Amino acid sequence: MVIQLLNGMQLAMLLFLLSVGLSVVFGLMRFVNLAHGTLFMLGAFVGLSTVEATGSFWWALVAGTLASAIVGGLLYLGLLRRLQAESPLKQVLVTFGLIFIGLEAARIIWGDYAERLPGPALLAGSTALFGVVYPTYRLFVIGLGLAVAAMLYFGLERTRVGAIIRAGVDDRTMTAALGIDIGRVFFVVFVLGCALAGLAGVVAGPVLSVYAGMDMGVLVLSLVVVVIGGPGSLKGAFVGAILVGMVETFGQVWLPEVAGMLLYGLMAAVLALRPQGLLPAGPRP
Amino acid sequence: MTPPASGTRHVVAVLLAAAAGGYWLASGYYGKELLAETAITAILAMSLSLLVGQAGLVSLGHAAFFGIGAYALAGFGARLGWPPALAMAAAVATGAVAALLVGLVAVRLAGVFFIMITLAAGEMAHAWFLKDRLFGGVGGMAGVPRLDLSAIGIDTGDPASFALLALGVAILVYLLLDRLVLSPFGQTLRAIHQNEERARALGCPVGRYKLAAFVVAGAVAALAGTLAAQRSAFVSPELLTWTLSGEVLIVVIVGGGASLLGVSAAAALWIGLRHQLSTLTDHWMLAMGAIFVVLVLVAGDGIDGAVRGLWRRLAQRRGP
Amino acid sequence: MKTLHLAAAAVLASALAAGGALAQAPVKIGLVLPYSAGPFVAIANEITDSMALALEETGYMVAGRKIELVREDTTHKPDVAQAKAKKLVFEDKVDMLVGPVASAELTALFDFAHQSKVPLLIPNAGDNEVTGEKCSPWVLRTSFSNDQIVRDMGTWMAGKGYKKVALLAFDYKAGHQLMGGFKKPFVAAGGTIVTEQYPPFGRLSDFGPWLGRIRDAKPDAIFSFFAGPPATLLVQQFKEFGLDREMKLTGAGWLVSPLNLPSQGQAAAGVIGVLNYVPAIDNPVNKSYQERFQAKFKRVGSEFGAQGYDTAKLIHAALAQAGGKTDDKAALVKAMHAVRIEGTRGPLRIDPRTNNVVQDIYVFETEMQGSAVGYKVLDRIRDVQDPPNGCTLGG
Repeated sequence: MVIQLLNGMQLAMLLFLLSVGLSVVFGLMRFVNLAHGTLFMLGAFVGLSTVEATGSFWWALVAGTLASAIVGGLLYLGLLRRLQAESPLKQVLVTFGLIFIGLEAARIIWGDYAERLPGPALLAGSTALFGVVYPTYRLFVIGLGLAVAAMLYFGLERTRVGAIIRAGVDDRTMTAALGIDIGRVFFVVFVLGCALAGLAGVVAGPVLSVYAGMDMGVLVLSLVVVVIGGPGSLKGAFVGAILVGMVETFGQVWLPEVAGMLLYGLMAAVLALRPQGLLPAGPRP
Repeated sequence: MTPPASGTRHVVAVLLAAAAGGYWLASGYYGKELLAETAITAILAMSLSLLVGQAGLVSLGHAAFFGIGAYALAGFGARLGWPPALAMAAAVATGAVAALLVGLVAVRLAGVFFIMITLAAGEMAHAWFLKDRLFGGVGGMAGVPRLDLSAIGIDTGDPASFALLALGVAILVYLLLDRLVLSPFGQTLRAIHQNEERARALGCPVGRYKLAAFVVAGAVAALAGTLAAQRSAFVSPELLTWTLSGEVLIVVIVGGGASLLGVSAAAALWIGLRHQLSTLTDHWMLAMGAIFVVLVLVAGDGIDGAVRGLWRRLAQRRGP
Repeated sequence: MKTLHLAAAAVLASALAAGGALAQAPVKIGLVLPYSAGPFVAIANEITDSMALALEETGYMVAGRKIELVREDTTHKPDVAQAKAKKLVFEDKVDMLVGPVASAELTALFDFAHQSKVPLLIPNAGDNEVTGEKCSPWVLRTSFSNDQIVRDMGTWMAGKGYKKVALLAFDYKAGHQLMGGFKKPFVAAGGTIVTEQYPPFGRLSDFGPWLGRIRDAKPDAIFSFFAGPPATLLVQQFKEFGLDREMKLTGAGWLVSPLNLPSQGQAAAGVIGVLNYVPAIDNPVNKSYQERFQAKFKRVGSEFGAQGYDTAKLIHAALAQAGGKTDDKAALVKAMHAVRIEGTRGPLRIDPRTNNVVQDIYVFETEMQGSAVGYKVLDRIRDVQDPPNGCTLGG
């Protein structure tokens, strides 16, 4: 039971890192970026190459995060910025096309064989905790997710940039009318979201295998997180990630017959009953 | 959104049908397979065009109804042993019922949320058929029967005849949907798409119209699915992947969204391009992806718009 | 005039060189494999590369005819696989088909091969029924049946003192066939299955939840079936959760395939596998295969490659036996039944009663060899042959 809780939490934190950027971009810009998973994969692959070159997981963490941020930024400036004014339909289709470009590019650069991104030696082995023996690296994943969540919360609630972003989510036109360059805010948020996706990719490397196509499974899961939690909301992404992590973990063990459908059923139910998600962004009371 | 073109579309329709017929005469075995696949994709794309182009409902789960139609044919035709024609009719009805159930919830949402809930519904259906035991789960099931037209001297087991059958069904679907689009029902859908609030204010039961469009689209998609299952005599969960939904959506957009002929032409372009590229390189998806992105970015009104622009320019040149 | 003489001389020379084969068209072998998409691209390439290695040894010639490989890509879609098979048979006029990898594609190809009476050689998929109750005179398998791989493993493990075993495989047909095939003889040999866990197929996987349940059941060993990325996950997580201190990890040998070792690292050491091939098999054919494969591709050839290599060898031997004649497809299949070859896996033949291969099965263990993980053969079960299982080909 404790082990399953930790397992669920570990998956939840990975999903949180992956989804939070997607969610805020979604909430702030009404922009659906299906290629978000591709940046996750990019982070993992760049991390892999970095470990092979330097032997250090920590450099991989830095390089993977940076690579996804840079590629995400270039994508935004070169392509996605133009789609801002377009219908969600075009955004979905263009980023859908990007998925296939990314997939094939990864195959050409990194090949068809699944590889493993070795975790840091410091975190190898297991730790006894709450009466169970649990892999130390997974505890690190949980800790990292919580730390990032705390930093983002502080950044959003306590800094000027955070206030601008929150204002932008609540009312874009009003914020722009106040003389704030909302385009630049979008850019910063987009790049930050991509960086976190890359970070998630490297962090997931030692837990999952790294291979071309690893993005497809997580993409749909992260969309579920965003929808359930409520687009644009940090708390929503956090709660959504924990819900999805737990449902995925416990559902597969307790209700294996319907586990495959459970999450999507949950997503559909939330959409039907509370289209804005469980913890929607919006004006605080 | 665009109102359907005038009588010139009949000329285009005949030209398209003639092109398909010419290809049928000129092509070999594999060409017949491609032609059948094109016809099936065109039917699926036309059904989605009704949703996207007319009603403005962007579904990212349309492959679910395609797959449900295929599986229902396998169930009624192969598992229960019903005659193929009856099984096909029942499969189309099953697609309609499934679309009704999903639509009841989905049409209450708009924009991105509609996209997301159709995606969720599609993934649920996909997960179901991955797990199911009746139809072979991941491995799928073979032995789906083909329509028996031997009474009128057609052997549907022959790829050439089957390609003709698929083409014939595609033409029928075009004629039906063309009527529907021009009918008051189609006009109302476009009115809702253009300004939902106004339509509501005028006393139009917006939800019911959207639901009706969703059900018709689901039924036609299921019809396409029954043809797909017959083409390969086989069903598998591959028929319901969300990436297939995305591909069809791209075909619809490239074709111009609202134009039935445009999306049919786009289906031909799509199948032909994929075939050509995949014979050139194993990394054909890279090229397809790039072509998509460019097409979606530059194609304002899709093929339909491009053809109409050309037509106008020609007409002007000929005119006094 | 001089040029004309030269040309005539050249024609004459080539006619002499080719002997009576001048007018003969090449033997065409159609490959229907997922080259461009899906999880089996690496396997498709490994099969094709290894078939090419085998045919290079023969100069791509048999009984005076050239041999030609015609590749078609299934794009990992069953309906495309079927359409491409039709293209190969009707347009390219291939004499036989080799493929596919995935079970869904096999289901789609099977009926076509059966009805069109073109020999189909399966180089990987293992569904029991294909050479059992559903068997066809035209569908032959050079790889394995799921049951063939695991049938003797239960007895072997019970004999080695692994009396309590937990089963772990994805919840799909192949998973249930392999677990079921292991279970019956194991229980008959006095073993007990303490728990059976079947995670859903094809999800973003984490074995944590299942390993937790298995630990509670306290088995001596886990018997598992996984391939590709999930296999890598299981091997790593088994170590991470410290289960290696409490039980042995065993399974169908794909778990620690040479394709997975680079991603599994040292966690792969100490796993017991059972399979029809392992790179450490000590025979001259395998040694030469591994040398040539490693020289060309800079990695160890896997069971998929070995199956491709043996398939090409078997085809070549059958063509030689049939005198290079391919018009009579029934005679060609007969020749395939008649030949006996020494493959990378040891002696091989096709059983005319089921059309499944008869081969040796190996029990092996992974161990640290220097700084890398390698294989050690523990046992060799000779001449493993499937019972007809409802197949009525007679023979």
